[in-house]
Amino acid sequence: MAVRETVETVDEVGKYKYGFFTDIESEKAPKGLNEDTIRFISAKKDEPEWMLEWRLEAYRRWLTMQEPSWAKVNYPEIDFQDAYYYSAPKSDEDRPKSLDEVDPKLLETYEKLGIPLSEQKMLAGVAVDAVFDSVSVATTFKGKLKEAGVIFCPMSEAIRDYPDLVRKYLGSVVPVSDNFYATLNSAVFSDGSFVYIPKGVRCPMELSTYFRINEAQTGQFERTLIVADEGSYVSYLEGCTAPMRDENQVHAAVVELVALEGAEIKYSTVQNWYPGDENGKGGIYNFVTKRGDCRGADSKISWTQVETGSAVTWKYPSCILRGDNSVGEFYSIAISNNYQQVDSGTKMIHLGKNTSSRIISKGISAGKSSNTYRGLVSVHKKAEDARNFTQCDSLLVGDKCSAHTVPYIESKNPSAVLEHEATTSKISEDQLFYCMQRGLGEEEAVALLVNGFCRDVLQQLPMEFAVEAQKLVGISLEGSVG
Amino acid sequence: MTANIEEQYLEAFGALAPQGDPAWLLARRRMARDIFAAAGFPHRRVEAWRYTDLRRALAKDGYVPAQRFDGPLAYDAETVGPGAAAFGDVERHMLVCVNGFFRPDLSSADLPEGVSVKPLSEAVKETGFEEFLTTDDNLHPINALNSALMQDGLVIRVDAGKDAGKPLHMVHVTTSSGASAAHMRHVIALGKGAKLSLLETHLGQGGAGYLANHVTETHLGEGAALTHIKLQDEAKDALHLAANNLRLSADAKYYGFVLALGARLSRHETDAVFKGEGAHADMHGALALRGKQLGDISTYVDHAVPGCSSNAHVKSVLDEEATGVFQGCVLVAKDAQKTDGRQLSNALLLSRDAGMNAKPELEIYADDVQCAHGSTIGELDETALFYLRSRGIDEATARSLLIRAFLDEVLETIPLDGVKQDIGSQIDVWFRASALAGS
Repeated sequence: MAVRETVETVDEVGKYKYGFFTDIESEKAPKGLNEDTIRFISAKKDEPEWMLEWRLEAYRRWLTMQEPSWAKVNYPEIDFQDAYYYSAPKSDEDRPKSLDEVDPKLLETYEKLGIPLSEQKMLAGVAVDAVFDSVSVATTFKGKLKEAGVIFCPMSEAIRDYPDLVRKYLGSVVPVSDNFYATLNSAVFSDGSFVYIPKGVRCPMELSTYFRINEAQTGQFERTLIVADEGSYVSYLEGCTAPMRDENQVHAAVVELVALEGAEIKYSTVQNWYPGDENGKGGIYNFVTKRGDCRGADSKISWTQVETGSAVTWKYPSCILRGDNSVGEFYSIAISNNYQQVDSGTKMIHLGKNTSSRIISKGISAGKSSNTYRGLVSVHKKAEDARNFTQCDSLLVGDKCSAHTVPYIESKNPSAVLEHEATTSKISEDQLFYCMQRGLGEEEAVALLVNGFCRDVLQQLPMEFAVEAQKLVGISLEGSVG
Repeated sequence: MTANIEEQYLEAFGALAPQGDPAWLLARRRMARDIFAAAGFPHRRVEAWRYTDLRRALAKDGYVPAQRFDGPLAYDAETVGPGAAAFGDVERHMLVCVNGFFRPDLSSADLPEGVSVKPLSEAVKETGFEEFLTTDDNLHPINALNSALMQDGLVIRVDAGKDAGKPLHMVHVTTSSGASAAHMRHVIALGKGAKLSLLETHLGQGGAGYLANHVTETHLGEGAALTHIKLQDEAKDALHLAANNLRLSADAKYYGFVLALGARLSRHETDAVFKGEGAHADMHGALALRGKQLGDISTYVDHAVPGCSSNAHVKSVLDEEATGVFQGCVLVAKDAQKTDGRQLSNALLLSRDAGMNAKPELEIYADDVQCAHGSTIGELDETALFYLRSRGIDEATARSLLIRAFLDEVLETIPLDGVKQDIGSQIDVWFRASALAGS
């Protein structure tokens, strides 16, 4: 009984709220992918020669690579020639100098997305580098950040203005040849965010980027690079919504984080791209490579993700714990419904002494979806006193979905302590009964239990995001009460 | 370098093949040979063998088929290692195989009524025997190799409703000193409600680099119960591969335990399929390894029907440069509601150079299930050690006490008391050798 209601309420999540489409003329590269496309993108961005070379090298490498097939996801073969690799809003020629100059239609889109740019300053000090399709259109709060010495700008701008920083760090965490999708991204990435926090600076506000896939048939290839210099701190939010449409879209983003000595990076994601309809038609293919490098001693990288969208998700935010005493964290909620397929998890590579990592993963699968946790914890020989704790729990809602757990646990150091536990279950009848016996309605009880199931992760989100995330997880629960 | 070790094995096939095999078996051998030839020895890039690279382990040796040995057998600690003493005080029937061939002359003949033992070479001539060989060669190159080259094995049958009483004890000894390979296929078939306790020891003459490849097909009828305890103490350069293919009918019970001490590389694999509701399988084990040994315990449980439970608990103690591997997969099929599937791997690393790899996997397609797995890897608890030392216990004793306590948790589950004690003594022997090496 309760299970069916939860199914229904999770169904509610499926009715995609953000399925609108803004009709703005785009300037596109011709369909298909070849060296000319890459030259076109590079030229459009006014990129220096070295960047073009970097892209072309990646492209040539990509041609020799095979799409990975080990993940537990099925999708029709992707024709990489049948997509546009570059599209920018028309107003690219004269970039807006202030919000007034921004295309009002764009602003409207943001309004619908819940980021009224005009009211940014009131929005709890969140600076937004809004990515509309591939070109960053407006960046706010630059002044305040500049005061602190923080660089927060579109990648294309960073390549022009801070070439030394970009050259030093780009591709240093996710090498060009890392994997099929990362290599593709390296060849064709259109834009993304670049963040540099100077030594000892605590970034005065949460940084945030809204990714939004807008033009039909444009793959999105975002590239994000965050460098936190010694002793600095930054919290970065990434949120995603995409309009509803039928063609499958490939999204292959790369995110690289570098934390130097004593630095801390907190990276939070709410991903709510179009998951396809109830019959599994359409939806985004999300193949993301996210990796953080705790390069300096005492550094920390924390990933938090709430994954509710996309038809296919292939995503493993990882931490390389190179510096002594460095800390890696991964908190994840992955909700799948209908025909969604999620294969997500993390890698914690312990290289330095006294490094510690913590993995909390909550998978909720409903409908006919498939939800896989795939993770690696590897302790290398020199990682004295490394410590890992992993907990992955799966909740099954309905009897047509599936949940899988594939952890790899490898230790080569005796002083390391690794703990892993995983459970799979449905909502316990006993707990439900207990709650109802205390006077809660059935829906409230289910709401309470699902909420409790995700709590460990929800608590990790920054305030601004927690609201949105709770909405996403909780929407289901709202509908079921009354 | 050997260009193609697979070819050496296939040559062996050519030499061995037709010896009065029935047509179905010949056809099967040919098919298995082709599967093996195509797949080759599994290596690091084959997911199921990710941590146990057979191709590398076999690269140096050219194995010849093991030769039948009919002479007198020295079955003592001096010749075949301390494992010879195991189960000596347990009242049992002995079934002895030497170099991969059954030796009825060394075995007990007074089996109770309703219990029969035949060599494989005889049993294959029975009509309908192929139904017992349910292993799918396509899924497993080593099983395919076994199907292609199997020469002998034990076919143990217990009739419906019979309790075999005293345990049957399979003893496998390898006497050949060179690089020989024996491929044995065993069948354990229990009729409805039948009961059997089966002990296994695997021993070899010191220093020999042989390969022992055992595939066991176990069929448990409705309500049948099998207790299956194995001690693997092969010679130190040997390779030991054992695959136990387990088919359980409704309400059948399986208790399996393996203690792996020997061989430079060993793998004990259990592939269980539940075919009827209400069945239960325990697949426990312990690894105690040192030197450059690699020990692998892998379980794959297919909960194909509702209402079954499975439990795998493996404890590993790894010293010097040894590596332990635990791979477990619990697959819960659609509609297999009320499944209870558990896996737990605990490992103790006693030295700087020891390592452990664990991969406990869950693959679940039904919602009303309770599935859990856990894995821990760490070293001896310093505070516990300190506590014992502060009570006047010397370090070596304190360490051995803690290690025994660690292993006892899984040893305690062994349902036969005498057997449990003997397994414990084997661990003590192992530990003493370790302490000697350390001092």
